Amino acid sequence: MQALLQAKKLTKHYGPVVALESADFEVTDGVTGLLGSNGAGKSTAIKLFLGLLRPTSGSMEVLGVETAQDVEVRARLGYMPEHDCLPNNVSAAEFLTHMAQVSGLPPSQARSRAADTLRHVGLFEERYRPIGGYSTGMKQRVKLAQALVHDPVLILLDEPTAGLDPGGREEMLDLVRKTHTEFGISLMLSSHLMGDVERTCDRIIVLEDGRVVRQGEVTGFTEELETLFIEVDDKRQEFISALRRLGVEATEEDSAVIIPKATEGTYETISRALVESEAPLRRLGPRRHALSEIFNDAAIPAQNGQPANQETAFGVSVSSGETGE
Amino acid sequence: MTSSTGAEPRQGREGRVFDLGYQRYEGQREGRWRARKAVYVDGLRIALGIGRGGRAKILPWLFVAVAIAVGLIFALNAGAVDRVVGEGAAEAADLPSHSDYYAFGAILLFLFAAVVGPELLCPDRHNRVINLYLVRPITSIDYVAARFLAFLTIMLVVAWLPQIVLLAGLAFGASQPGDYLVDNWQDIPKFLAAGAAIAVYTTSMGLAVAAFTTRRGYASVGLVGLFVISQFAAGILGEVASGATGEWLALISLSDVPLHINEIVFDTSDTLGGGQAARGLPTGVRVAAFFAFTLAAMGVLWNRYRRLTV
Repeated sequence: MQALLQAKKLTKHYGPVVALESADFEVTDGVTGLLGSNGAGKSTAIKLFLGLLRPTSGSMEVLGVETAQDVEVRARLGYMPEHDCLPNNVSAAEFLTHMAQVSGLPPSQARSRAADTLRHVGLFEERYRPIGGYSTGMKQRVKLAQALVHDPVLILLDEPTAGLDPGGREEMLDLVRKTHTEFGISLMLSSHLMGDVERTCDRIIVLEDGRVVRQGEVTGFTEELETLFIEVDDKRQEFISALRRLGVEATEEDSAVIIPKATEGTYETISRALVESEAPLRRLGPRRHALSEIFNDAAIPAQNGQPANQETAFGVSVSSGETGE
Repeated sequence: MTSSTGAEPRQGREGRVFDLGYQRYEGQREGRWRARKAVYVDGLRIALGIGRGGRAKILPWLFVAVAIAVGLIFALNAGAVDRVVGEGAAEAADLPSHSDYYAFGAILLFLFAAVVGPELLCPDRHNRVINLYLVRPITSIDYVAARFLAFLTIMLVVAWLPQIVLLAGLAFGASQPGDYLVDNWQDIPKFLAAGAAIAVYTTSMGLAVAAFTTRRGYASVGLVGLFVISQFAAGILGEVASGATGEWLALISLSDVPLHINEIVFDTSDTLGGGQAARGLPTGVRVAAFFAFTLAAMGVLWNRYRRLTV
């Protein structure tokens, strides 16, 4: 699969401050999450790819070309900034028509694309109202629409759920996912919220202090540590003892038995342990790890051959308040 | 079943709405030139308040109306004198005409640049819309050049239109409009040149000042303040420092810089304000000063946007 974005030893320093250090990663078709806490280098990486910043060293390519050398490539990119970036005194339809033309579309095509795009983000009825009167959620939709209006190959979204209430956040994440699944457009979104990334992304790149500390498939991140959750009506201790005797690590959590790192063979062992202990089974099911749990688990091996870094794994994690959405 | 008259409504032709879903764009992409043109056209629309609310239209159109009205008053005044006193009386009485218009018209253009000019640059940086331009197939220099040309276009129209109205008024007020134009055609290149000088200079100054702030109000006050203070300073320095020094110091009257071109083109000496002492300088110096100030303002504007970061 051809890389849409590619960073090779990408480094950006602002004086003594290291924003990005020897970052190597690729973004391919799909939805890629750029995860990291504030100051991790997410926005810097996006601005480098857009050609808004020059790297201190290393190189980056967008759709096979360097944006700093060829601004025309930006006609196939979309960008949704984190902060407010909309005029107040023009309508969404007028603004999108203009932005489509600035992306290179002829005026008549720009007008029809603007109307279509506003319909897709759910603002068709409101399209002739001045943007200044929109709610925060509606403005976020206009921001996404302006990134979509010229039908880009790839959209870069910087913290797309920033400032939204829970309802607005859900809608925005649905829209992001829909943009890929229904519109066929690839996206890279930056976020410090693991829930957002876990829910919307196929792949994940984790940045910390300007370095790539992990990257891989989101399913890989979560499935590699599938946990089984078992409830028995009686003889719980006997069941746990049987599991341990049969070589399966099991722990007790509230009224349940938890088996971490389960594999296909684990189910057979559980069956035998249930028979041996004569524990009546009430419920058995997988409990997939949230990314937040993974990043708080120092025992997890790093992806792509990078060494595990206990400090990094903890450092990337954010407070439970942010992961518990 | 159909009736024999054929008047029965046709059946089975109900309209249907199809949701075609998201459509990929397979049409033409016109790249950087389309982007520049879009920013230019948008600049024209902003300057005239088109596509904006009613309030955005009031000031620009008020300036245009006042400018035209002044041209019209000049023409009617000359026409009335000619009709009452006799053909050629207006010219003999040296009534205000093309060479005099910019003594007043320049003030109008300065105010127009101070009030409307910042509108083209400041809100985009204040609202951070500039971020969305710079991630498209356009550079910051493309953007500011397109905005500059858009405002220059409007300024040229505002500068030339009253002169054209005046010319038309004077021509149609004459008993033989054709003869009037034949006798006075030299006024046309003169007012076009003088108007262009004022428009280019005022556009450059207005946008250069606007590049230093994201607030339109600050830019407006800044430009007016620059013109007023420099004229005041030039007036005092021209008086205090005698001789050649005074003449050179009088060049700092920023509001008089383009009016030197007007005086040189029309060969008159009645439009300068506080920098009148500079009239004693050679023509080449006065023209060079005009180009130096204009290019300096353009350079400042270019430099501010070259270093623009988002």
